[in-house]
Amino acid sequence: MSKFNNFRSKLADELEIPNDALSDNFDLRMHGNKKVIIENHLGIKIYEDNMVSVKTNDGDITIKGSKFKIEEINNYKVIVKGNIKEIIFSMKE
Amino acid sequence: MLIFKLMYLIRGYVVIHLDDINSEKTLNILRRRNITVWDVENKNKGIKFKISYDDYIRHSELINEIMKPVRKKGFMLKLNKLKFRKGFSIGLFILIVSLYLLTSMIWEVEVVGTNQINTKKIIELLQENQIKTPVSISQIEEKKLETLIYNSFENYKFVEVFVEGSKLIIFVKEKIPEPSKIKSNEPSSIISSKNAIISKVIAKSGQPVVKEGSVVYEGQTLIMGIVKNKNSEEFVMVPSDGIVYGKTYYNFEMKEEKIRNINVATNKSKTVYYLKINGNSIKIIGDKEPYENYNYRESNIYVPIVSKLTDISILKGVYYEEAATEVQIDEKTAQNKMKVSMYDELLKRCNEDSRIIKSTINFSEDEDFYYLIAQIEVIEDIGEKVRIYPIEDTTEETKED
Repeated sequence: MSKFNNFRSKLADELEIPNDALSDNFDLRMHGNKKVIIENHLGIKIYEDNMVSVKTNDGDITIKGSKFKIEEINNYKVIVKGNIKEIIFSMKE
Repeated sequence: MLIFKLMYLIRGYVVIHLDDINSEKTLNILRRRNITVWDVENKNKGIKFKISYDDYIRHSELINEIMKPVRKKGFMLKLNKLKFRKGFSIGLFILIVSLYLLTSMIWEVEVVGTNQINTKKIIELLQENQIKTPVSISQIEEKKLETLIYNSFENYKFVEVFVEGSKLIIFVKEKIPEPSKIKSNEPSSIISSKNAIISKVIAKSGQPVVKEGSVVYEGQTLIMGIVKNKNSEEFVMVPSDGIVYGKTYYNFEMKEEKIRNINVATNKSKTVYYLKINGNSIKIIGDKEPYENYNYRESNIYVPIVSKLTDISILKGVYYEEAATEVQIDEKTAQNKMKVSMYDELLKRCNEDSRIIKSTINFSEDEDFYYLIAQIEVIEDIGEKVRIYPIEDTTEETKED
């Protein structure tokens, strides 16, 4: 995470406004273990039946499981559906 | 997501199959070009996904270069196809227009509740007011037509106009002619309306033909409307007027049970629900007639929106259990009850200005019943005015012939 982005994130926290309004941080939401919504992403790195990797500003998010299907992908968000077993964050230092 | 898919089903979408091992790269290219991709699935060494038809047209060069569209789907695309099927399109258009015209016009006028002559008159009246079949339904103003028909004809007491399908129905109810009242200057006689003994005759005009103490029967003349002219010795007809009081006797026989069966409600009840469609009921929940003795009440439950649009409602029926019990009725209560119902009956049979002179009431009883035997003597006006008509004398004319 860059210093400027870090500052923007902290400012958003102090002002009690949504973090993604000021910073470039990704937003990850899960609906049980069936659905993952990642906002503010930079693209798909790997798409396989049992693994999906999504690139973000802070690093990569790897979702492991089975029967993966990308429900929707556009410039802003990606919705992944399937049986989720594991989510790994490989963050930049 | 459902709304999103439905929207693209109408606007059109393209299903694309990509036989590429490095499919992630293609997805990222599409993302960078701001193309929304959905339903991405792994299929036989490649991926299958959907994009909107608008995006496909906008980036067709790129898409055709790197992948192949499998099929195009959507309502708008189907409509576009109709451009090439001109004959079918024109036929469909004509069918829709003619269906619209046929259903938006009145093709027949039906008059219910009157004879053919009046029906013709009503139709002529409508034609005078520019309502000739076929006529557009929008031109029909029911309330205005009802007023027009009601005001134009005097013999209708009720008029209702409504449109049913392509038919204009005019429902009329004719007035029943009232029986004509006897005018004060018309020749009339007064006859007896009941069997009675005459107690007083007050004749203001006409010739009284009964005396005090005479026994008269129903229909017998009391005051005659034909009197002799003192000067010319001829009989003339006059309007009769007067009051004739007569003694009438009313006999009553009544009985009342000593023990009566009365149903008393217990606090138990059971509910049954029916689905009511077009007047037919289908049982959904509960049992019919769950008790031997019961009181049944039902009410309609209207389903919001559904009941307004269709004739579907829910009928709720409640069975309240009742237990039959025997009640002993004492003598005084029974006698009072019989007396009250006797006087009620007497009031119905007598005139308003009647006066009771003597009443003989006897009570008796047996094992099961209390009895009342009574005779009531009443003085009342028994006269009833009837119109009299002159009989034309044709005997002289026949003699001359």
